[in-house]
Amino acid sequence: MLYISLTIYIQMSKEYLGEFEELVLTMVGILQNDAYGNAIVTEIKERVGRTVNLSAVHVTLYRLEDKGYVKSHMGGATNARGGRRKRIFTVTNAGLAMLRAMKEARMDLWKLIPQLKFG
Amino acid sequence: MMIHHPQKNNLALRFLSWFCPPALYEGIEGDLLEQYDQDAHEIGTKAARRRLVLNVLRFFRPGILLRNRFSLQLINSVMIGNYFKVASRNILRRKLYSFINASGLSIGIAFCVLIYLFIQDEKSFDQFHASKERLYMMHGFEYNSKASGPEDQFHKIAPMQMALPQVMKSELPEVEYATHFAGNSGLMKYDDKVFRENVTYVDADFFRMFSFRLINGNAEKLFVTNDEVVLTDAIARKYFGDKDPMGELVMIGERTLKVTGIIESPPANSSLDFQILTPIQGSRGYNQHNLNSWLNMGWSALVQLHPGTDLANLETKLDKLAEKYMGEHLQQWKQERKVPDGIMPYTFRFTNLADIHFDKSLGGRRVSDRKYSWILGGVAVLILLIACINYITLALTTSARRRMEVGVRKVAGAYKRQLVYQFSVESVLLAFISMVIGIGLTVLFLPAFNSFTGKGITLDLMEIPSLAVACLGIALLVGLLAGSYPAFFLSGYRPVDVLKGGFTTRLQAGFTKPLVVLQFAFSAFLIISSVTMYRQMEYVSTKDLGYDQHQLVVIRTNAMRGEDSLKIGERLQHRAMLNPAVVSVSATNFPFAGGDGMIYNIMNNRDGKSVSGYVVDANFIKTMNMKLALGRDFDINNAADGINTIIVNEALVKELKWNDPLQERLKFSHSDTLGSRIIGVVRDFHFNSLLSDVGPAFLSIDTHYGRLDHILVKIAPDNIPETLARLQKDYTMVAPGKPFEYSFLDENVAQQYGKFNRWMSIMGLATVFAILISCLGLFGLAGINAVNRTKEIGIRKVLGADLGAIFVMLNKQFVWLSVIAFLIAAPLSWYAMDQWLSSFHFRIEMGWPLFVTGMVIGLFIALLSVSYHGIKAALINPAETLKYE
Repeated sequence: MLYISLTIYIQMSKEYLGEFEELVLTMVGILQNDAYGNAIVTEIKERVGRTVNLSAVHVTLYRLEDKGYVKSHMGGATNARGGRRKRIFTVTNAGLAMLRAMKEARMDLWKLIPQLKFG
Repeated sequence: MMIHHPQKNNLALRFLSWFCPPALYEGIEGDLLEQYDQDAHEIGTKAARRRLVLNVLRFFRPGILLRNRFSLQLINSVMIGNYFKVASRNILRRKLYSFINASGLSIGIAFCVLIYLFIQDEKSFDQFHASKERLYMMHGFEYNSKASGPEDQFHKIAPMQMALPQVMKSELPEVEYATHFAGNSGLMKYDDKVFRENVTYVDADFFRMFSFRLINGNAEKLFVTNDEVVLTDAIARKYFGDKDPMGELVMIGERTLKVTGIIESPPANSSLDFQILTPIQGSRGYNQHNLNSWLNMGWSALVQLHPGTDLANLETKLDKLAEKYMGEHLQQWKQERKVPDGIMPYTFRFTNLADIHFDKSLGGRRVSDRKYSWILGGVAVLILLIACINYITLALTTSARRRMEVGVRKVAGAYKRQLVYQFSVESVLLAFISMVIGIGLTVLFLPAFNSFTGKGITLDLMEIPSLAVACLGIALLVGLLAGSYPAFFLSGYRPVDVLKGGFTTRLQAGFTKPLVVLQFAFSAFLIISSVTMYRQMEYVSTKDLGYDQHQLVVIRTNAMRGEDSLKIGERLQHRAMLNPAVVSVSATNFPFAGGDGMIYNIMNNRDGKSVSGYVVDANFIKTMNMKLALGRDFDINNAADGINTIIVNEALVKELKWNDPLQERLKFSHSDTLGSRIIGVVRDFHFNSLLSDVGPAFLSIDTHYGRLDHILVKIAPDNIPETLARLQKDYTMVAPGKPFEYSFLDENVAQQYGKFNRWMSIMGLATVFAILISCLGLFGLAGINAVNRTKEIGIRKVLGADLGAIFVMLNKQFVWLSVIAFLIAAPLSWYAMDQWLSSFHFRIEMGWPLFVTGMVIGLFIALLSVSYHGIKAALINPAETLKYE
């Protein structure tokens, strides 16, 4: 029962991306074939200067996967990280389209703002 | 640099693996470890470890947790029908076991439901008022100079001053409404119907404060005048039948009142009880003297406060109020009672109406103690637990028979899990049957339970669903709890061992032995207590009271204060004497068993002893069959006997250490005369109950001491109804329009012990339950014992042991168990019963015969319950048990 209701919830919210979801999705796009939890945390810290929680990133990634914007596979084993494999995320076509659509929508809105004068 | 990874069994990671969905686990753990490595480089291993734990905890969130696939391993639905079929077949096949099991469980459930209802009822007291948070009962708060500790430093005194409600309402802005609440009994008359009723005096605010539903009448306009009365629907029906009572005139005492409202009878869970309400302003006590006297306390007061009242502030205001109206007295008390500075010797306080039910000094007739709820709740849980464990022992005793079934099922491919389900279904089914029987028992026992506890619990149709849910919960819990152990035990058999045959099990049921001892000790305790109580009550009802209380009818003359009560009495006496069935007639102001009588202070000795005084007539001693120890009886022809002449009892002589009482005089503190002449000494008689010793008392025929408003008629023992009918006729002749109110003196005497009789009944009932339950426990244990020793019995029989020897061998240990139980129970019950008996001044001795009786009853019951298995095991053909080997 619980599972079913959860699925319904996910389907309903398919059309929307939150701010953090968008950020993570973008990072997955940037990191290409090396997008996994820790790398995204580091990337966000370096590029945006924001300290984020590993668990928050993981949860967001799984949610994006549910929505079909990213997909994941297990990477090869390494000696680092105690021999555990990485879960590598890649942006799907739908995810790319979503990012593009969001960017365009934002640009459209941006254009509507009267030219600001600085100084 | 070499990195020391956290060990595999790191607690945090194990926690992660417990809650994390397996599919995600590796990726998450890897990321966490990578983070740890990084941290270890930057801030050191110790801090990194801490951070790891923190990070793991951060993953414990719904976004991760809910990704677990929740799938309940539901029972294969195809099999459910089969489980039920097999379960019902098994239950039907072993009828005796099923019956014993079901009765044990249903008694447990019934007990729990009754106790649940009791606790619910206790909690619901006075909760039905809409503004219950703001309703308070006022009470005096008196400093207790003899306090033994901080908890009894102050006394609460419920009766308050007549003026208090009005004063509070006019002087304290916090008080929204205020009312008196005081009752007494009086005759109510309408048409030809006259009965004695309880009349309650209240103020008009009463109807605005409480949520008793007004069926007829306008709450805002009630009690504008003093000559109004509001009746409960029950009283209205009693006097008016189907007629509309509104606007009718009734007589209460000597006043004529108009019915202006009909109110719903207060429910059984209301601390305020009333039948007839009338304005306090019309009562005799509402006079200038009482309104001005702040030392005269006799009327309960209730107030409703405005919402959001600061209670602490109100308390200081009440202190000021006490200071204002009682300042002089407070000063005086302060000195007399040596009250420390800063403490008021007396002030006003208040207690929320919802709390007074549990307050001994305020709760009135229906007061209770929270302790009872706790104790009963504990007993309920204990009984249910014992019932469960008994079920387990009983289920295990039958396991031997079901070995084969388990073996065959397993060979046919049943999983262990399925067998567990099957056995669980069986016990749950039995629990449900027990539940139905239990609810039936509850309904059956509820009236008896109500009369034991003095409650008016009814099973409301509205409550049945919630009760059913509660019962269902109990049944499921009991079924699973009691069924789980046998289920796992039975399903654990290895099919090879079972089917090969010749496999005997020893049931490990050692845990039941102490339990059986406990149960049995409990029963022994109750048996001894019940026997003791029974003996004491028997003693009380057969003891010689110093007078003959049998065949004595007490008739109230019901004469009004204004009338000459003597006349009704005298006329009735004359008429009654004409009746051949009447042996003797007398009169008194206060029949025995009705309370203390009038108390007089005497001056004969220093410490101002008090004596009870009874006004009687010259026939009294003869009619009551009392014995004179010294002197003479009153003489009707001697006019001097009517003035200042008394007969005293032996207790008074002893108290005053008189050598020749006939030469002494009893001096009263209220008069300065020489005192009363003593013409005789009567043997001690129990004018009070046997709870207390016989106190000093005197009899007088001087009506100066009181009115002879009770006629005592000694009647012949046969044809009592006819005699009574004739007495009634006589009464209506001499006192037309008054109710014929009579009682039997022996019944009144017995009523003094109502509380103790009730306790005896409760203990009797509890004893029956406890015996039943402990018999079940013994029965189960005996069964296990017999199963375990089947082979031994076979061998013994082959070697020539006879039935008797085997029976003794099997049951020896139960005798020991019951002896141990008895040794535990005896001192406990001695202590408890000593406490119980201590409220009686006249009590039986708790000698050894009591304990021996208890022990013999207990042993007999124990042997009765174990002999079934003993005889059955002894009768088995040894070939049956030994043939495989």
